[in-house]
Amino acid sequence: MLSLYRAGYSPWHRLAAGPKALLLIVIVLGVSLLPVSWPGPAVAAAIAVGCYAVPGIGLRELRRQLVAVRWAIGVTAAGQLVFLGPGPAAANTTRVGAALVISALLALTTPVGALLDALERGLKPLDHLGVDRQRVALLLIVTITMLPVLARLAHDVREAQRARGAPPGLRHFAMPFLVVALKHADALGDALTARGVR
Amino acid sequence: MSALLLDEVSVRWGDVVVLRDVTCALDARTIAVIGENGSGKSTFARIVGGLTPATRGTVRVLGLDPARDAARLRRRVAMVFSNPDAQIIMPTVAEDVAFSLRSDKLPREEKRRRVRAALERFGLDGIADRSAHDLSGGQKQLLALCGAFVREPDLVIADEPTAYLDARNARRVTGHLLGKGSHRLLLVTHDLDLAKRCDQVVFIQDGTIAAIGDPAPVVAAYEAHLAC
Repeated sequence: MLSLYRAGYSPWHRLAAGPKALLLIVIVLGVSLLPVSWPGPAVAAAIAVGCYAVPGIGLRELRRQLVAVRWAIGVTAAGQLVFLGPGPAAANTTRVGAALVISALLALTTPVGALLDALERGLKPLDHLGVDRQRVALLLIVTITMLPVLARLAHDVREAQRARGAPPGLRHFAMPFLVVALKHADALGDALTARGVR
Repeated sequence: MSALLLDEVSVRWGDVVVLRDVTCALDARTIAVIGENGSGKSTFARIVGGLTPATRGTVRVLGLDPARDAARLRRRVAMVFSNPDAQIIMPTVAEDVAFSLRSDKLPREEKRRRVRAALERFGLDGIADRSAHDLSGGQKQLLALCGAFVREPDLVIADEPTAYLDARNARRVTGHLLGKGSHRLLLVTHDLDLAKRCDQVVFIQDGTIAAIGDPAPVVAAYEAHLAC
């Protein structure tokens, strides 16, 4: 289950979800717009370290987040290395890595319920367009939280296939996975209705 | 008027008739629904809970028409299903319980108080910040119950809530469902001992009500049917 939130009392935790999201967007934009040439990437890295080096979060958490996004960093580095060479690759990868770990602070320090409330408030301008913002916010949150559930269902399907000696392959996997996922979606829909979601 | 009233209710899915001309008036506080797999028990519960519309007939639940008063019905009726995994919506235990109160127009502090009280009641207060999906099966089902009871419903509908649980957790869950409280209970179950503990039992067979009444004779009728 995607449960990034970690309870705590850091300054980031104390900041309300809406202002925090805006502040982090500004910081991430700033980091993204830093010059590619040095010391731009060093400043990006320093900002990321600065964001985590506050009481209640710490650099150990920064390391954990870097490990979590290692694949994104690796893919970015590889692509940049092929097309731009080592110097720009290091610089761009540092900026991308910094932006990723800084943006992770939002989910790390904000309960999903507060995120949902902030999203609903943030989507208020869409009321004029007839958009049901409660539904949009819920859709986003449920999508994010259900991704790991789908991963577990996929694992269960593979296990069941292995137990029956089925050969590995997308063709044998896709159909049962789809059926299980749709069944889960049905049950989740019932649960949402039962909890008062229109 | 009886709390649960079904008059000539039928449900048809394509060519399949799932419930056929079901008529009953149920007023007991705890009602068990028993019957074989595919007999129509869950559909009966879903009709009462407003999740499945009747193809024909009249349904009244606590005086409300589930088709026309869906929002009001949702505020008074809570449902618990057999698969605890599919009932978790939010990432952490406390957030999942609080989600049940999202659509209620209650002051924030009242919501917090209710969530705290419900977590304590179901023994989940010590794991309030844990990832809901990382809980054991028993804890997940207690969480589902907690999410249902935090809304202080007048009627709880539980569709085989102990199907995935071991004996200890099944006992805890049924203890909460059948325990003292102001709520009514409609319990779909294969556990005949559990059915005998309810005030009234409905035996459904092939989409119709085969027997209805006091637990002992109705359960006996079902057991006789199973022996055939």
